[in-house]
Amino acid sequence: KSVIITVVIGNSGMMVSGAIALAFLPLLLTLIIRYRYYFVLLYRAVLVRIWKDCITGLTREERAYQYVLTHATPGDPDSILEAFDVWCSKVEFISNIGPKKGKILDRLLMEQSPLTVLELGAHCGYSTVRIARSLPLGARLYSIEMDQRNAAIAEKIIRLAGFDDDTLIVNPSDEVIPRLRSDYNLERLDFVFMDHWKKCYLPDLQTLEGSGLLGKGSMILADNVLFPGAPKFLRHLRRSGLYQWKIHRATLEYSKGIRDGMAELVYQGVK
Amino acid sequence: ERHRGKRRDGDGEKKKRKKRRRKGAHRAEEGEDEVQTRHERREREKRRRAKNDQEAKGRERDEEERVQTTSGKVAKTKKNIRNENTRRRVEEEEVEVEERLEKRKKKHGSAKKEEKKEDEGKQMVKEKEREVKKKKHKKETSEEEDDKEEDSKDEEMRPECLTPEELEKLKEAVDERKKLIQSLRGKPWPMKKKLVTLRESQEFVEKYEGALGKGKGRKLYAYKVMMTKKWMKFQRDFENFKTACIPWEMKIKEIESHFGSSVASYFIFLRWMYGINMILFGLTFGLVMVPEALMGRPYGSMPRKTVPRSEETSAMDFAVLWDFGGYAQYSVLFYGFYNNQRAIGWLKFRMPLSYFLVGVGTVAYSYMVVIRTMARNANESGVGDDNSFNFSWKMFTSWDYLIGNPETADNKFASITTSFKEAILEEQESHKDDNIHLTRFLRVLANFLVLCCLAGSGYLIYFVVRRSQKFALDGLENHTWWERNEVNMVMSLLGMFCPMLFDVISTLENYHPRVALQWQLGRIFALFLGNLYTFIIALMDEINLKREEEKIVKFNITTWEASLYNGTISENSTAPSITINPADVPRGPCWETMVGQEFVRLIISDTMTTYITLLIGDFLRAVLVRFLNYCWCWDLEAGFPSYSEFDVSGNVLGLIFNQGMIWMGAFYAPCLPALNVLRLHVSMYLQCWAVMCCNVPQERVFKASGSNNFYMAMLLVILFLSTLPAIYTIVTIPPSFDCGPFSGKNRMFDVIHETLESDFPAWFSKVFSYASNPGLVLPFILLMVLAIYYLQSTSKSYRQANVELKKKLQTQNEENKKKNKRAALKAQMDLEEARKAASQAAEEQKNNNASLQGQEDRQLLASRAPGPRTYHHGNHGASGYLPGFSEPRMCRVPSLQRH
Repeated sequence: KSVIITVVIGNSGMMVSGAIALAFLPLLLTLIIRYRYYFVLLYRAVLVRIWKDCITGLTREERAYQYVLTHATPGDPDSILEAFDVWCSKVEFISNIGPKKGKILDRLLMEQSPLTVLELGAHCGYSTVRIARSLPLGARLYSIEMDQRNAAIAEKIIRLAGFDDDTLIVNPSDEVIPRLRSDYNLERLDFVFMDHWKKCYLPDLQTLEGSGLLGKGSMILADNVLFPGAPKFLRHLRRSGLYQWKIHRATLEYSKGIRDGMAELVYQGVK
Repeated sequence: ERHRGKRRDGDGEKKKRKKRRRKGAHRAEEGEDEVQTRHERREREKRRRAKNDQEAKGRERDEEERVQTTSGKVAKTKKNIRNENTRRRVEEEEVEVEERLEKRKKKHGSAKKEEKKEDEGKQMVKEKEREVKKKKHKKETSEEEDDKEEDSKDEEMRPECLTPEELEKLKEAVDERKKLIQSLRGKPWPMKKKLVTLRESQEFVEKYEGALGKGKGRKLYAYKVMMTKKWMKFQRDFENFKTACIPWEMKIKEIESHFGSSVASYFIFLRWMYGINMILFGLTFGLVMVPEALMGRPYGSMPRKTVPRSEETSAMDFAVLWDFGGYAQYSVLFYGFYNNQRAIGWLKFRMPLSYFLVGVGTVAYSYMVVIRTMARNANESGVGDDNSFNFSWKMFTSWDYLIGNPETADNKFASITTSFKEAILEEQESHKDDNIHLTRFLRVLANFLVLCCLAGSGYLIYFVVRRSQKFALDGLENHTWWERNEVNMVMSLLGMFCPMLFDVISTLENYHPRVALQWQLGRIFALFLGNLYTFIIALMDEINLKREEEKIVKFNITTWEASLYNGTISENSTAPSITINPADVPRGPCWETMVGQEFVRLIISDTMTTYITLLIGDFLRAVLVRFLNYCWCWDLEAGFPSYSEFDVSGNVLGLIFNQGMIWMGAFYAPCLPALNVLRLHVSMYLQCWAVMCCNVPQERVFKASGSNNFYMAMLLVILFLSTLPAIYTIVTIPPSFDCGPFSGKNRMFDVIHETLESDFPAWFSKVFSYASNPGLVLPFILLMVLAIYYLQSTSKSYRQANVELKKKLQTQNEENKKKNKRAALKAQMDLEEARKAASQAAEEQKNNNASLQGQEDRQLLASRAPGPRTYHHGNHGASGYLPGFSEPRMCRVPSLQRH
């Protein structure tokens, strides 16, 4: 008969018999199959990262930079982005915006052709390069990154891609935004891209609203509003009535089965 | 009348009248002049604009006007199109003001003095009238005149003072309006114009229709109109009432509008099931339980109707009652309570016969209803599913314009959205062509996995049942609670988790969701069937055990009776065994009651499980997701746990298997239908609430047109499978000797023989015995089979013919469409040419008019006619070749001439 059952019955101290335990097998299988993408993500984003951190002694971003440096053509943003995509989907996982959602970003930028762009959360420069690539002539991109080391890498990546007309600000976003007007002589932001801590989406949006930098027609694009998700941010959108907004549904970057979305907001101004 | 009079121009009489008027006007206050100048200016402006308009879209107007000649009220309509409503209102007001002023003037004048003048005035008025009539007759050929007249009628005429001719006219006009309303749909006008025309025509008809009859006739007519309106309203209310009478219709509609027809199909099925169970309940309650309770022997009169002495102390405990022991066991709820007395009460009610026939009747009725419903559904799905222009139909005809309250509107909105989703899904599925080999491979793989899973769970159940039998032999006291309840636990766990696994596996197959639902239903059906039959096998084992026990008890009872008899003989010879309380009499185990109890317990535990999973799995989850979302690190609503979807397949199967239990157990526990009715009633409300409150619609909402019959087919299978064991027990196992309506008989169906022999005349039983002879029965069955075969083949041929005819119709339709298209193209070209010709003619005519105008201008200047008059004449000229064209408010022109 079944080995497991005899083993369990052998442990006479066990209360639950093996047959009952076996009846839970379908549940286990169901859970594993249904949430396989999450398990894969957990493995790639956490376990592999810890393992590699221990082995190489470098941070994940530094490893990514090394890969890009060796595999991409300097001065060619497309090739740099492609190298990033390959590294993130084949080697390790970094939550960049990714090629699929990046297309939406590109399209929106093309349509809007904004002159002043603010990016919150540069991370290692992927999205900065992506935005800078599709900006019109004379546009200026301000990128905010909190982490010193990531910022250094982002700076290098940006220079590698051949862009120099953007400003990288190394500071937490909630400190920078109120001072944008005074420090950087900004009058109005045409486009804001949010991809930093999901918890900061709402406070940062509110500070932006308060600072008066948003004009009528300014567009804000927030990534990952469904996974990991920014419920408070979305709730604010629904309630405030300041924006015309919609959610572009897509999947999480470098993963097929996890649903995610980007929120596109157009500021309508105070009525 | 005055207006009509004013319109005539170029007559000697009129000039005279004008003079008089002017005198009157001079006598009047100054304010009037201002009003009139303002009015004049406006009028002029309007004319000019009208003319510009006319020139600009001459051709369009041409067509328009041709159509309008048919309608009665040309001028007004046209003006409406040309001017804004507000403007018109202002003008009308002004006209009224003017009229009032003039009236006052007249009074003033007449009051002042000059009898002669007054007489003259009266005469004039009469003359005018006469003249007007004459002219009317003369000019009837010209349609503009008519229009003008109607216009004026609109404004000043009261229906009371109408001459017969006018009445006739009015009637004509009303008829024309009616015709216009009817043919409005086909008119090639812009929608706005149509709406305006429609509204005005309706107003007109409403206003003057009642006036057509005179005196009594009019009243009658008004009465008739009122009654038809009332009748229509009543009909509508009655429809509403009928809908309100269908139980839970509104709830189901609301759910359907938000969750799609697949979820609604479950609730419709549930309602249908409720109806069936109501009838089963009526049968068992009315023909079995109530007669026994009212007319049968009371509780405590017999051993089978009394709680035994050993159980008396705990018979009223809640735990015992909850388990349907104690007093509940010895009541009408179960088989054992019934007495085998042939006829009870003053009605001589044949209790055992009734019991048997009700048992057979419920099953027969269920078969009949299920098969009939299946046949009806098959009919419905086969005929008239026209899918061409599906989206256009949905787009333009979905909205219900009778909706009055916002909630219904919301529901309708949701339902339209859902139906669009469904239609889009259908469309996508019909255009899908993937790698067919891969899909096939995946489907085979999925089926293989499911089979593995089914086999595994079947083996597990088998293993557990075997083990539990071993435990039972050992004695249950030696084992833990877990081990004693192992079979139930494993069965319910598998029943809960395996469907989830099937669901996950079925995503491999990439079926249309409706097909996927059917597969899912089939798989879970197989799983549940295993559970059911395990249960039945266990029950059979127990029945055999009880029967062994019964034999021993029977033997013991005879010895006990013998000893009792001996004892009493020795004491007292006159009154034997009179003192024995029925509670003390030893009795058999009564396996029938045991079976009934098992089924009732199963139903109760099943219901409890359903409700608890509903509350925990749906409600608690929804509450947690909703309120924990405020303080959680990811989005619970859109992300991982989310809200649950309504599980159609699981619920449907639960319902079906539940019904199977009822059919199986109802013979041994007459209370089962009543319990089921209660359960269905509660679950209707509970599930409706739970769906609307804690579930989200499925991601792929699909139409459930075909699945209803699938449910029915499964129900039929279950009905068959559940009647099998019931019939088996009835036919093969002899009933218990000391309980139930059939006690003392060899088999339960012997009751029929008994009735035939004792209650019917001898010839009847003879006939019956001949009829039940196999020599007669077998040919009859053969005949039936042949008849069924014949009907089947004819229906098949009819269906084929139907398909052929449908094809024919379709081809004919296409042909017609082509023909129509050709005709339309030709007509369009003709129209184009005609327009060209017309526009050319218009140019020429205009040139002519210009010269005419010049002459008239000169003429009119002499009589100080202002600008508008010239325009007026220009229009007159134009209307010669534009039939039906007429100026707006011609009647006001003469008033301007007073200056």
